[in-house]
Amino acid sequence: MRRPLDLLSKGGLGCLLALVAFALGSTVDLAGDPDAIVGPRLAPPGPEWWMGTDNLGRSMLPRVMEGVGTTLLLSCTAVLLTAAVSAAFGILAGYRGGYLNEVVLRLVEVLYSFPAIVLAVLVAAVLGPGQFAALASIVLVTIPLMTRLVRAAAVGVSQRDYVTAAVISGARLPRILGRHVLPNVAGTIAVQGTYALSVGISVEGGLSFLGFGVQPPQASLGVLIRQGGSYMIAAPWLIIGPGTVLVVAILAINVFGDGLRDRLEPRETRSLT
Amino acid sequence: MRHPWLACSLTALAVITTACAPGATAPTAAAPEAEPGYAASADGALPAGGTLNLQVHVDTGAASGLDPQLADVASSWQVMSLVYETLVTVGPDFTVQPLLAESWETPSPTTYVFKLRDDVVFSNGRRMTADDVVGSLKRLLDSKSVWRGQLGPVKSVTKSGEHGVKITLDTPYTPFLSALANVPAAVLPMKEVRDGSVDPAVKMVGTGPFTVEDHRQDVSWSFRKNAKYWAPGKPALDAVNITVAPEETARIAGLQNGGASLATLGNVDSAGMLAGAANVEVVTQATTDFYYLMLNTKAASSKFADPRVRQAINMAMDRGQIADVAVGGQGKPTGATPAGLPGACDPARLPSATGGPEGAKKLLAAAGVRDLSFTLSIYSTEPAPAVAQVIQQNLQQAGIKVNIEQMDEASWAGKVYGKAPATFDAALSWFAGYADPGMVAKWWNPDVAGFNSGFMKSDKELNELIDAANTVPSGAGRTEALAKVCAKADTDAQMIPLVTRPATIGYRSDALSPSLYATEGYGNALRLIADTRAKAVR
Repeated sequence: MRRPLDLLSKGGLGCLLALVAFALGSTVDLAGDPDAIVGPRLAPPGPEWWMGTDNLGRSMLPRVMEGVGTTLLLSCTAVLLTAAVSAAFGILAGYRGGYLNEVVLRLVEVLYSFPAIVLAVLVAAVLGPGQFAALASIVLVTIPLMTRLVRAAAVGVSQRDYVTAAVISGARLPRILGRHVLPNVAGTIAVQGTYALSVGISVEGGLSFLGFGVQPPQASLGVLIRQGGSYMIAAPWLIIGPGTVLVVAILAINVFGDGLRDRLEPRETRSLT
Repeated sequence: MRHPWLACSLTALAVITTACAPGATAPTAAAPEAEPGYAASADGALPAGGTLNLQVHVDTGAASGLDPQLADVASSWQVMSLVYETLVTVGPDFTVQPLLAESWETPSPTTYVFKLRDDVVFSNGRRMTADDVVGSLKRLLDSKSVWRGQLGPVKSVTKSGEHGVKITLDTPYTPFLSALANVPAAVLPMKEVRDGSVDPAVKMVGTGPFTVEDHRQDVSWSFRKNAKYWAPGKPALDAVNITVAPEETARIAGLQNGGASLATLGNVDSAGMLAGAANVEVVTQATTDFYYLMLNTKAASSKFADPRVRQAINMAMDRGQIADVAVGGQGKPTGATPAGLPGACDPARLPSATGGPEGAKKLLAAAGVRDLSFTLSIYSTEPAPAVAQVIQQNLQQAGIKVNIEQMDEASWAGKVYGKAPATFDAALSWFAGYADPGMVAKWWNPDVAGFNSGFMKSDKELNELIDAANTVPSGAGRTEALAKVCAKADTDAQMIPLVTRPATIGYRSDALSPSLYATEGYGNALRLIADTRAKAVR
């Protein structure tokens, strides 16, 4: 029997939903145009500009809203791509084994051997800075672990009786994988997806912090933190807002992911990976 | 990993905290009062010796090697000025002053006779001769140097006695002395260059105050005092170590923790950021350097082939806002002749100064252009991204969409100058403004400049106006001629001047007593490094 989400996980989910709602505000310019120069440079938070203004006199509130949206959208898109690629290769390798399994594992190990931010910088250097580079970086950084976990889960599922029965009854490979294996590794993919999401946010933040990610004037959490870092003493509000949001987002995702794992993968049924 | 969430959260915290480098806030020692024309004056009572640890954001241009005659960017001139010297130099308020030439005479508007110092030796110990000067200038004139165009219509360079050099021009050329004052016109050890024992592309042998001990491209330089330097008591420093630190925060941190005793700063808010930091002084030099926008008219399907489109972009530009916001009020709107130089044109009187966004929209409509959008390529060094974002906002008012593409300086240079015809839409950069208002205007002639011939078409009328303005002696006549150049460059609008670029320099007042001019035109914050004194060996 699956357990309900615990209070902490529900809190994490609530935080995430609140952040999504906060980010959606920027799509309708709820707090104004994030790129518009509206006030004096480096004005501290006040009634007119709740989170202050940046070095170009832009209100920080709509910029943080846009930044959250950019970072979440980039990370979520990347994680969906990662999930699709990892599910395809992980399930195939786990079910078929043999040569295919070895090739997938070795490729994944090569990717895994790079530290995340080094791999991301390498990708950005090849593709050029921008959102596409950030997206590709997050995908490449998150693929190895998810592929390995999905493969391990698929190995276990492949040995179950219902899969053997499907094979004996003459079911073709796509049907076996799609109807019998995939649904039973979906929990692993979902749980690992939350972890990949937090890694994605970290990578986006790091990449934009280094100037290889999202390009100006578009805001992302990494861009805002990079910009705010220069003004830590003179205008600390530039980094406190986006920095706090980044920490909250990653904590919320991981707390929720932990709860999701407990619900979908009770400890006694987890594979040993 | 048992607790990936913890690792991720720590990573996020690390990203934030890496960006933050709080400085100490102990009281700052009062800096000595600077003389008129100086932003800082070295305390001559301090003992000689010590090391200057300098941090800069970019190294010399790797593509042109170490040959000063081929150096085409101010970052190269700054570093090379430690080793190489010119006949004349620039003093406070852009006055031309003697350096390797003790004095000079101009018996006619087309003749300059320089009397050389007789006590100058190269760092290899050989005495500098008139042959070195003649050979160096001839080598420059025969080279593919960008600076060759700045020297003007030189007819001949000859020896005039043992310690004299005579330069004859075809026509009068007002900026000639200012053109001689930059590093590409430096005196090289021509005997050694000719016999092959010195290759200037890889080895620096000059008459300057320092010699190179070590260089790692884009990483660091080590200079040692030139013991044979001709000026008595100079340089005061024993050594200069330069670290190339592209990140502004790293240079600021270096000043705060004492890792750097001097640093060039790009952020216009550096003074505010370092306010209260113990023993750190920040000074701003008013420069003639200025930012400008390049519109590529040579690309296969250029969006800027119609001059009305370029004029619309020029018209929509709010230079006042760029000056106030992007460069924090430390820059001034400028035309093609740098604001701040005597005789420079008034940007408020340029054709583009009236019209604004509405005028721009009308011009675009007349040109039949709708929904104009283009990509603006910039490098990531501050304040270029800030300037680009204000431009973006300005042009948005005229219905023009600008996508900003930000990259490192090397990639940017490759994209803008690496191909002919160039493939970029628009790009942002800055020119050194030099010490004469007619000099930088010469870059509006791509046949002379060369470096912009990949994206800019030559305009015969504009070229003639530039040449005419530089033959007129300084005074009301030249001011009028330069105003015509500005107006024509403004309507040509292939390169659009924006605002002057302030130079911000930070130093440790407990480690250093530097000399810095209040004004600078060649991007060289180290011009007075021979006078700078260390307070302690760090």
